Amino acid sequence: MIEFKDVSKTYPNGTKGLKHVNLKIEQGEFLAIIGLSGAGKSTLIRTINRMIDITEGELTVDGTNVMSLKGKDLRQFRRKIGMIFQSFNLVTRSTVIKNVLSSNVPDMPWYKTFFGIYSKEQKVRALEALDKVHILDKAYSRCDELSGGQMQRVALARTLNQNPSIILADEPVASLDPIIADVVMSDFARINKELNISVFINIHHVDLALKYATRVIGIRAGEIVYDGPTKDVTQEVLNLVYMGKEVPVAGEKIEIEGMVIEQ
Amino acid sequence: MTDIKQFQAQENILEKLYSEPKNLWKRILIILFIVGLMIWGASGTKIGIDEKGLNLAKSIFSGITHPETLLLFNLTEKGIPYLVLETIAIAFLSTVIGSILAIPVSFLSSTNIVPKPVAYVFRAIVLFIRTIPSLVWALIWVRVTSTGPFCGVVTQSVCSIGMISKLNVTAIENLDTGVLEALDACGANTFEKIRVGVLPQLSASFVSTAIYRFDINLKDATILGIVGAGGIGFPLDAAINSARWSRVGAFLIVLIIMVVLIEFISTKIRARLARGRS
Amino acid sequence: MTETKTKKPPLFDRILKPEHIVLDNGHAVDRPRSRTPLFVLLILVGVVISAKTTGFDIAMFVKRFNQLPVILGQILQPNFEFFGEVWPKLVETIKMSIVGTVAGCIVALPLAIVASANIVGSKVILWFFRILISVVRSLPAVIYAYIFKFVFGMGTFAGSLAIAVFTVGIVAKMLYENIETIDMGAYEAMQSFGATTLQSFWTACMPQILPQYLDNCLYSFELNIRQSSILGYVGVGGLGVLIKERIALRAYEDAGMIFLMIFVVVFSIDLINDRIRGIILRRKK
Repeated sequence: MIEFKDVSKTYPNGTKGLKHVNLKIEQGEFLAIIGLSGAGKSTLIRTINRMIDITEGELTVDGTNVMSLKGKDLRQFRRKIGMIFQSFNLVTRSTVIKNVLSSNVPDMPWYKTFFGIYSKEQKVRALEALDKVHILDKAYSRCDELSGGQMQRVALARTLNQNPSIILADEPVASLDPIIADVVMSDFARINKELNISVFINIHHVDLALKYATRVIGIRAGEIVYDGPTKDVTQEVLNLVYMGKEVPVAGEKIEIEGMVIEQ
Repeated sequence: MTDIKQFQAQENILEKLYSEPKNLWKRILIILFIVGLMIWGASGTKIGIDEKGLNLAKSIFSGITHPETLLLFNLTEKGIPYLVLETIAIAFLSTVIGSILAIPVSFLSSTNIVPKPVAYVFRAIVLFIRTIPSLVWALIWVRVTSTGPFCGVVTQSVCSIGMISKLNVTAIENLDTGVLEALDACGANTFEKIRVGVLPQLSASFVSTAIYRFDINLKDATILGIVGAGGIGFPLDAAINSARWSRVGAFLIVLIIMVVLIEFISTKIRARLARGRS
Repeated sequence: MTETKTKKPPLFDRILKPEHIVLDNGHAVDRPRSRTPLFVLLILVGVVISAKTTGFDIAMFVKRFNQLPVILGQILQPNFEFFGEVWPKLVETIKMSIVGTVAGCIVALPLAIVASANIVGSKVILWFFRILISVVRSLPAVIYAYIFKFVFGMGTFAGSLAIAVFTVGIVAKMLYENIETIDMGAYEAMQSFGATTLQSFWTACMPQILPQYLDNCLYSFELNIRQSSILGYVGVGGLGVLIKERIALRAYEDAGMIFLMIFVVVFSIDLINDRIRGIILRRKK
């Protein structure tokens, strides 16, 4: 369970990333976080594994106070949280399986890391992770030979290989075309259901968010303006999240991230 | 049913596992090769340091860390300020002469400007200049100019021609010929084509190369002193030979500061040249 | 107009005001004055001062220039019988460069890592190592060899060490510049699942910089072969000893043979290196 208690984040330059966020998320939820660019979606997600420090309030993950962690404890804590990035963040010059295996590195002795030696058991686990995202046949290809959708699946396999209880995904489908984006989202949904992993996704595509998530959080200028089940998300909610008012002026057209919402 | 499915999954995973391309041997071979080279290279080398060497090391260290500061403020021809000026003067003058002489040489060695046989003749000359180390060039030029900073200027000018031409040729051969075509189309003659179409493309890279060479000349000027071709290397050589380590320390510190500073400045200038005027 | 001019024009443009050109249709444009005359003037002044300082004497140069063709003529007629004497020294030179290059390249790698702004957070550590690398680079190998000779004796060890120190300087510099241009995404990902800085660097960044690192090592090897041939001049073994001796004796035909052999070796190593580069580049694709 993840709990945000009155969490705020102020960046060193004075920008408010988050303002008094209160949230409670149970294990196994599929959460979509929607909002404009710069609204604080990334900040919210990155505070959970402390890629970003919070400045006020308390954030607990499965009973651990995140801000109390340091050094080795923090790295140990991050082992059970997977993270997926918009730009995939793979070692493109390495093979697919090497990338998946890289999530074993923190638990390995230094000389094995140094020479890149992995055990047979680790390799089998990595291949199984690749199989789960249907990309087993590419195991020994180099990452730079893959398409964007395939790369994001490799990143997903890398995360699965670390056996996480939570997956944080920061705009995972933003650089993919609509059809591939749908496939990758369905991968997330399947993993969420089959393995009971909590999934947090920052997403611009509202339609994909509504199609796959079980719960939606709308964030605007660092504040949570909507938090509820997907089925309750109405046009008014979207207006509130994206335009700050529930009832827009008739005929007003607003462009959001290349997508036009017409009233 | 699920058991069979899982078993199949295991099977295809194992199959994939055994299909892993084996390149471990290749890696081991490369490592063995490098280790072997090292062992062969080190064979016959007496590694180690004797009592005498250790004592010398100590006195060198203490000398270098306690430099003779008096020399820094000596304004005669033996003082460091004058020597620095002389070293920079050698490097500067030879860079200017070298880069001016390199311009015709580089055009004459570019296959897209002159016929191939001509280009290859000039390339052979450039190659010859580059093959003989600068120290040796100094030893040869000494016969013409006798010792002193003038020898340094001549030597470095010649060595500069070698390197600068090589870099310039690359720039010339990468010329964008589209502009020349455009000039042809509006009826320009050869001279006009060079002035309007070629020079603007090359001037920045030529200047950049010259500045780069200035750095190298400055560093090399210290070596040339050892064979008597002027600059700060000459008294440095004398100081090392007579084991006056605190004097060596003073020279080295000034040398290092001079080189690091000028390299810093020239890197800035070259970065600006590459970007174009801001 | 005043709104767009938030930045102060450079000093030059304030002294020599840009030419204001008004077209017939009323549109105006400012043409900044060319800086070229200023630079040419500065260079001319520099040349005059330098010529005075160095005792530049074109008359003497012309008068005694006839010495040069004689010497070069002899160099270009190498004495092939001298091969037997050059060979062992040549091997010594190559050995010295190999040991120096490999040792230097190995030391340069960690040094380059701690001098890369995208890996090391602390500005103090960063600048300490950068200045260290610059200082090491500022002295040529000959000077190192000269000083090491006193400590380690006349053998090739001092030479190898000098080459190694020089190699550390150049390879570390090139390498940290390369490291700073790599994509840090994979590094960030590894941090996100709990890897240490070193683990993340080794697994995520090393595959990216390996080809460039090898390329730098090959480049330094080419440079070192050329360099080490003259190290012997200050007495640390290799061909330089012979070069010094033969030129002092004015036996230019023998020296010519030495240069011919250096040329052949440098040329072959260039060829081999190009092959290796080809392999590395093909894998890069």
